[in-house]
Amino acid sequence: MTQVTIAQLYPAELGVTGDRGNVRAIERRLAARGVETTTVLVAPGERLPDALDVLVIGNGPLSALRGVHADLTARKDRLDAFVSDGGVLFSVGGSAELLGERLDAPDGESLDGIGVLPYRVARVSARRVGYIIVDTPDGPVVGFEDHASEWTLIDAASAYGTVRDGHGSFTRGEGRGEFVRVGNAFSSNVQGPVLPLNPALTDVLVDAVAERRGLTLSPARASDLDEYADAARTKILMRPTRDKGFKTIQV
Amino acid sequence: MMAAAPQARSAGPRYIVPVLAGKLARFATRLRGGGSAFPGYLTNRMAPTLLPTLADQFRYGVIFVLGSNGKTTTTHMVSEVLRAHGLKVFTNPTGANLPQGVTSALLADASLTGRIKADVAVLEIDEGYAADLADRLSPSVILSLNVQVDQLFRFFETERVADMMLDASTRASGHVVVNRDDPYLSKIDVDAMKAPVSFFGIAEDIVAASAHGLSNAADTRSGTAGTTPRDAFAEVREVSGRDIVVNVGGADARITLPARGLHYAADAAAALTVAARVLGDEFDTDRAAAGFATMAPAYGRGEVIPLRGNPAGEQVEFVMFKNAPSLQMNLDALDGTPERALIAIDDGTPDVSWLYDVDFAPLPRVDVVTGEKAHQLALALAYAGVEIGTVEPDMEKAVQLMRSFPETAAGRQVWFVNYELMMIGRRILGREEQETRR
Ligand SMILES: [Zn+2]
Repeated sequence: MTQVTIAQLYPAELGVTGDRGNVRAIERRLAARGVETTTVLVAPGERLPDALDVLVIGNGPLSALRGVHADLTARKDRLDAFVSDGGVLFSVGGSAELLGERLDAPDGESLDGIGVLPYRVARVSARRVGYIIVDTPDGPVVGFEDHASEWTLIDAASAYGTVRDGHGSFTRGEGRGEFVRVGNAFSSNVQGPVLPLNPALTDVLVDAVAERRGLTLSPARASDLDEYADAARTKILMRPTRDKGFKTIQV
Repeated sequence: MMAAAPQARSAGPRYIVPVLAGKLARFATRLRGGGSAFPGYLTNRMAPTLLPTLADQFRYGVIFVLGSNGKTTTTHMVSEVLRAHGLKVFTNPTGANLPQGVTSALLADASLTGRIKADVAVLEIDEGYAADLADRLSPSVILSLNVQVDQLFRFFETERVADMMLDASTRASGHVVVNRDDPYLSKIDVDAMKAPVSFFGIAEDIVAASAHGLSNAADTRSGTAGTTPRDAFAEVREVSGRDIVVNVGGADARITLPARGLHYAADAAAALTVAARVLGDEFDTDRAAAGFATMAPAYGRGEVIPLRGNPAGEQVEFVMFKNAPSLQMNLDALDGTPERALIAIDDGTPDVSWLYDVDFAPLPRVDVVTGEKAHQLALALAYAGVEIGTVEPDMEKAVQLMRSFPETAAGRQVWFVNYELMMIGRRILGREEQETRR
């Protein structure tokens, strides 16, 4: 039986937004297409598996970003090699910020990113909260955004999606953009978690794994997961005032 | 934020006009069915010294209750324990924990000349406004319950919530009370406080025996994720369902909690610490236990309501949650697997990403999943391996479904609900009144 290895990096430090949901979605989607998986949780100081297929990194507070910063920096060469080799990387929120070139925090402090992905990030004062719909070459992606993170793309061609509704993380043409893709490395500020809600996006990752490993996937077996994801997506896509009704008290 | 805190002046005729204006505005907004913020705003503008003046009149001072989870329950506990000691207690309506809401509540109880007849004020206060309100109300005691991952859309970072509580605490004149079992709060800089600090907590073996501990946020800032060891003034020593034993300054208090759960036991230890510090020699463990005995569960926190209107018939136990820690603590406290369960989330909970961080093992099956976010919720439950009966986003229809099932052997269903759907669920079951009194 074929085995695909998934790693979640810093699950304790960067996992405050249900990030293990993204791991589960990849596991379940691969299983539905006939592939067995192994998932490894990797803490600071621990080794990433040598034969790595998918790396997931999640979201956390600024203090946690400072906490993992040195450890992540030490992994730069490995991650560069992994991405240029077509490995699948999926990063959301705080970790996505550190994968860029630099993160400017609000108090004038700045953190060097590890530059695996081509953007710079500035924390802004206005929080962006609400449902988001992003049009991508692989179809619409829905989720929830809750961040104060403005990205400036160094390579405009790395933009993967255009915001149809919501705020997004960067300027794209006349409008707003969300999701960066370089090879099979994806990063964004979309929570939800986003992969359970978007099986089509999960399939993009799964297909990328299969191509890199030369695996033949069977057609996806239908499950309750698809039915619930479909209904949840429909609800978000049809919601007339996606941005209204959230009690955001400014402090 | 306030430039300079207005000073208390003695009550008297100077307050008649602003108090009257506030009371009239309050009456008018009530007639319209509107909120309670405007009257407070109006009175604050007309007489900025009124608020400090009102606060100054409480013989036993003003108590602030802060925390990510459990403010409402604990405020109620402190109030009842103090009442059991014969004190007349002023407390704000639940949820009225922002400055204008607190002012409005005080205004409602004040005489026209700005006099208020209560011995002590026990106030649930929003963390974001705690320091500002402390400047105006000069609390004697500030209690901080816990710091949990919550409301990131509002506060950005959990550690900021901790800082807001710790910063407010520097303003307490009599006592600071914090949770020893909370990583951020246990690291309080005792020397930076004006007032002595008392800790409360739960005995280590009890926490260790609980599936997920206390669900307080890990400290991602100091380099030590866990707590700093502290001696507890009040410590929960035994837990058996709702019956617990709390050692308070050397004496055991035997308490019955309003609902099951280690989080409620921690709230009780907090409330007992506050009461003991406020009352000093007058504090009595039997009276404290009597206070707990007369306490009805707060809305939706272990509250039991007839499913079909018949008080002798099948009941619904409401279990309210607002985030991963509170849902986890409630699941861990379940008294066996519910025979029938409903779970509900609507847009009152903006982001539900955290559902994927909850261990649903204590809840292997849910009969009905409901609320605007029913399908997102069902998706998370399905990923967690929870068996799902029906997904019905409409709460009214969901209640009909729950009523259509054969009666459970235990005569009780359990409904897990967020705040908004708790209120709607209660109304559907025939409980019309708003949650205000305690
Ligand atoms: Zn009461």
